[in-house]
Amino acid sequence: MADANVATERHNPELTVGISAEYLSGKRFPYQEDISAIEDVDLMEATPGQDLNWLEDITLLVEDGVPAVFDRYSNSFVKIYFEIPKGREDEIARKVLIKHLTSGNSYGIQLKEAHAKFPQPELGPWVKGSKTVGTDWKRSVLPGWEAPAGH
Amino acid sequence: MDALTGESNIVYDARGLVEPNADVPKISSIDGEKAEFDAQNLTTRQINLELRWLINEQGITDVTVKNPGAKHSLGVGLLTRCKITFDGSLGYFGCGIIDGPEVHVKGRVGWSACENMMSGVVVVEGNAGSLTGAAMRGGDLIVKGRLGARTGIDQKGGTILTMGSVGSMTGFMMQRGRQVICEDAGHGLGDSMYDGIIYVGGKVKSLGIDCVPGEWTDADTEFIDRKFRIYELGTPPTFQKFVCGKKLYNYDNLEASERKLVL
Repeated sequence: MADANVATERHNPELTVGISAEYLSGKRFPYQEDISAIEDVDLMEATPGQDLNWLEDITLLVEDGVPAVFDRYSNSFVKIYFEIPKGREDEIARKVLIKHLTSGNSYGIQLKEAHAKFPQPELGPWVKGSKTVGTDWKRSVLPGWEAPAGH
Repeated sequence: MDALTGESNIVYDARGLVEPNADVPKISSIDGEKAEFDAQNLTTRQINLELRWLINEQGITDVTVKNPGAKHSLGVGLLTRCKITFDGSLGYFGCGIIDGPEVHVKGRVGWSACENMMSGVVVVEGNAGSLTGAAMRGGDLIVKGRLGARTGIDQKGGTILTMGSVGSMTGFMMQRGRQVICEDAGHGLGDSMYDGIIYVGGKVKSLGIDCVPGEWTDADTEFIDRKFRIYELGTPPTFQKFVCGKKLYNYDNLEASERKLVL
């Protein structure tokens, strides 16, 4: 089922304005289909301070007619395919997002290893002890190109 | 170190003003996961290098910066969970683009504090200048003093709470998030706001275009009570609530990719 969905997502990026996390990663993740995969997520532990902090602005949305949560770190929607219990919509959306980020599956996080320009935790501020990336960033070199005089 | 301080020693090159010394000072006294250093004789670049070295390479989770001297752009671009105390005031653009830190500023802050803040908590004991929380996306920004004009301009999330008043055009083009203003608000409150909520405890000189009074709900009471309790701000005053009237609301006509910019 997951593979079929991915196939439909692989349309021409020039012809669409919607981007889903599945499209960017090429696969669907278990926490998108199984509520039990996210029930252990501690939202307070995952956020700074004594409150929900930035998750206060995260709510359940709909993308392509499917419940979804927006991942601002990859500018994409993480669609949710399991039935969401009434009254827990935003909580579930937040838990799916935190699971997505802390699992390292967010496309923005996957790019960090190669492209982070200064030191930062690979998995973001949500995961204690996450590996530091961006310590040895080097400017890309275009073969045969030389900077104009004076630059 | 002294050779780098003072206006006569500022260096310019073809690109403009630069601070040439990119060496990490490594002057902090470190005790376990805590560290402290005196920023009096350091440049902005050196202070930020020291902070990043401590947090990213030394595993420090709690840093105190003595004598920040109201230098500009301190504590910016920190993308991890940690606690930072500035034992003094910050200049312009303090704590910008942060994602995770909990910052305590014992003095005041200049223009554009917490610009584009992604997450974290910043508590300022004194006043803050104009454009505080500009383009802020998430987290809590608590200012115990007053705020200048255009507070939370283009705010896309998070909470800005001030125990004092705010200047004109506060909440200009606000797109999401919440502002809690315990005292008065200047002219043009919430001008051209798309979304979000502004609570005002005092008088409003005038509302901006498409900013209208909103209906108070239990969720508003819960939110206000929670923030005042967590930050130990005492008893909240009685607030008026303001929201977007959506007369100028043209989101449906925006391209979907543009809609994402405000999510």
